[in-house]
Amino acid sequence: MMPLLVFRERVKNFYQTHDIYINPVVKFIFALISFVTINKEIGFDPRLESLPVVLALSLLCAFTPSSIMVLLATVVAALHVYYASPLLSILIVLLLLIIYFMFARFTPQYGYVILAIPVLYILKIPYVIPMLLGIIAAPITIVPTVCGVLVYYIFQLVKAAVNTQVNNSVDDILMLYTNVIDNLKGNKQMIMTMVIFALVLLVVYYVRKMRFDYAFEISIAAGALTCVLGFLISNVILDKSDQILAMILGTIVSAAIVLVIHFSQLTLDYSGVEHAQFEDDVYYYYVKAVPKVTVTTPQMKVKHINVKDMSQSLAKGGYHSGDEEDEEYDEEEDAYNDSKDDFIYTDVRTDRKNKTDN
Amino acid sequence: MLNTNKVRLMTKLALYETKEGKEDIRLSKYYKTDYVRYQVIKSIICATVGYICILLLSFMYKSEYLIANAVTLDYRTLSIYVLGIYVIVASLYGLVAWVGYSIKYDISRKKLSKYYKLLKRLNKVYNDENTES
Repeated sequence: MMPLLVFRERVKNFYQTHDIYINPVVKFIFALISFVTINKEIGFDPRLESLPVVLALSLLCAFTPSSIMVLLATVVAALHVYYASPLLSILIVLLLLIIYFMFARFTPQYGYVILAIPVLYILKIPYVIPMLLGIIAAPITIVPTVCGVLVYYIFQLVKAAVNTQVNNSVDDILMLYTNVIDNLKGNKQMIMTMVIFALVLLVVYYVRKMRFDYAFEISIAAGALTCVLGFLISNVILDKSDQILAMILGTIVSAAIVLVIHFSQLTLDYSGVEHAQFEDDVYYYYVKAVPKVTVTTPQMKVKHINVKDMSQSLAKGGYHSGDEEDEEYDEEEDAYNDSKDDFIYTDVRTDRKNKTDN
Repeated sequence: MLNTNKVRLMTKLALYETKEGKEDIRLSKYYKTDYVRYQVIKSIICATVGYICILLLSFMYKSEYLIANAVTLDYRTLSIYVLGIYVIVASLYGLVAWVGYSIKYDISRKKLSKYYKLLKRLNKVYNDENTES
């Protein structure tokens, strides 16, 4: 475990010092994966599939907020459908507008979930999202999760409809359109998936809130179990036994991914190097604040020694719970003192204001 | 001479102001009733747009039937249905928005109280500086 923890600290240190460069690169990779998957899945328009367009869009996403990525992906998907069938693209746009105005606008900061679920569905690991959101967010994120599932099924149905489309007469297209709506309305698998994802999210959220050791790890396991059981039941009801193995493997991989994310904690208690600018009457301040967590690697070893001491004192039979409490108290006291100064101020540059200029 | 204590306080304040505090400070410019009413109106407008989209979809879905029976349709009952469902949807969204945004406002006020405490400390530091000089 120790080398892993040290490795984690190293990764965190590296991330904290280079986050200005890492963030755009990571965003670029995510955007690239999203656009490539969209193109692979519903790539009807060859112009949007060309490499320069995909790269340019991904590059744009790397330097803009995540909501722009969601918007661009939606536009690309709608344009693909428009190329194949203009009337179906109207349907898509209307459905997406309904999703936005009725549901998604209440949780704007989780817009990326609506994009992530369809993309991960195609990569066979959509179970990551409900488990991850259970770990890092609140139950309200059920709303974007359910919307993501809905978006995935809408595009699946539209894809099937476009593939079966033979000619472009108005009657046929209208027929296609009613078919899509009928399939969407009576799609039991979609509704069951929504319910299971919501359940997984709630299970992970409430188990990790409980006060016992390894609550986070157990919550992920509980979420994975709920997921497997839920989909097994739904597969039995819907009589779809061919997807069981893929589902179980996908859940295991998803749980592993969530576990890795939780372990690295880059999303959880990450607070990187901060740059702040402000001024008072005399100075302009350009402060670079480095969080103190970055220098705590040796502390892990200290904890390790404490555990050894405890086991030795237990072996001697002289274990005093009071000592333990004292130590814990001291640690808490230290933590309190630390929390007064959460940052080390390494680079406080000040420029004297030149009031008498001109 | 740099006052490190002041720099510390100001950094914390500046970081809060630029990150999570941005929304809290924006909310603090409203009275609670004004903010909640504004959000309720926004939610109802959005629900209306969504409802119109749903109506358009339904119209397209049932277009064959609607066009075929355009003369014999009972428009009065139809419009009563459409309006009735709209009123239910709009009031539901208004109610949920009213409760949700009230809670959001209260939470943001609690977070802001910490910010004001830091501001008071900074003010004290300024006062001390002034008396020293």
